[in-house]
Amino acid sequence: MRRLLIGLIALDVIVIALGNVLGGPTRWPDIEVPVIGSLFASLSGEPLVHIAGEAAQPTGGIGISNEISISNSLFTMWLVMGFLIGISFVATRNLRLLPGRLQNVVELVVQGLSDFVQSTGGPQALRYFPLFGTLFLFILMSNWLSVVPFVSQIPLLHAPTADYHTNFALALVGWFAYQSEGVRRLGGKYFSKFFNFSGFKEGAFIGGIFVFVGLIELFSELFRMLTLTLRLWGNVLGGEIMLGVMAAVLWYVAAPLALPFVGLEVFIGLIQALIFSLLVLMYFILAIESHEEEHDVALAHADQSHAEMTREVATV
Amino acid sequence: MNLAWLAAGIAVGFGMLGPGIGVGLATAKSSEAIGRNPDAAATIRTNLIIGAALAEGLGILSFVLGILLWTKA
Repeated sequence: MRRLLIGLIALDVIVIALGNVLGGPTRWPDIEVPVIGSLFASLSGEPLVHIAGEAAQPTGGIGISNEISISNSLFTMWLVMGFLIGISFVATRNLRLLPGRLQNVVELVVQGLSDFVQSTGGPQALRYFPLFGTLFLFILMSNWLSVVPFVSQIPLLHAPTADYHTNFALALVGWFAYQSEGVRRLGGKYFSKFFNFSGFKEGAFIGGIFVFVGLIELFSELFRMLTLTLRLWGNVLGGEIMLGVMAAVLWYVAAPLALPFVGLEVFIGLIQALIFSLLVLMYFILAIESHEEEHDVALAHADQSHAEMTREVATV
Repeated sequence: MNLAWLAAGIAVGFGMLGPGIGVGLATAKSSEAIGRNPDAAATIRTNLIIGAALAEGLGILSFVLGILLWTKA
């Protein structure tokens, strides 16, 4: 511990000396909003290759334009996709019963995720494990990429999840997937959650309340798209801005002190990837449950746990 | 000096109040629950993380609003 502290202090002194030699005398860096804004917080990716449509406003902000282009976040997304696809290809090329090192790691990750899904939603949730796992790994890699130096700081690289277009696309995929799964499982009954007229049997007042509750359900369903997008985007982008501000503030004071914030950002990236994919999984589970079958499901569950118990007893 | 920056600061500051209280309450209650029943720690922790992220999502909305005010100023 003492050695670490001494090392940090020595690094700090060296950085200050270097700064004085290379960049003029020490002064408190004035944090100008436009500078940090252009350096660290380009809210969405910038187009690298322009294909069609008009260019978006250069001022940034959230907006919709008809521009089609290959942006730097898309390019970085291809890197992430290439990495994941390459790993899975190499790891599964020659599967062995006694796994090698890489196969072992990949098996550990997949098994852990599958166990997590099973503990969250039961065996029936394993149907949605591919989507859950893909979302988790992709978002995790993208989030961790935002901590890597030069990503989001040079024009060619931009962390994919720090671009709200990527997050919105992911949220759209999850949203339509679980809506269609709900319709597929429950048929027309799925929509009775939103347009519920069964309460009119017991009077106009109860019926009105049921309709109102259905409308609230409908709006919360629509809001899920927005909140899924903005939660991930805000966290990743906020983390990048925080790292930039910390680096600027602590540059002449104690640059190595900004390192804990990198660790915090790594942790937040993991949590947010888990949250996004877990929420999509939860929406799936909520979408396929119907209120009429609750009794049967509970009974089936009881039966199953009973069978498991008997099996355990038998093995003992 | 632009008044929109002040507005952004106020929006983010007040917007983070509620989620802060919410996450604090959730953490306190879940620590209590884990203390009472350490066997259920895994489930409680999962629920805590989901609840905390949901509460934090609202705060993040105010952060996004702040970003919008900041860039459009």
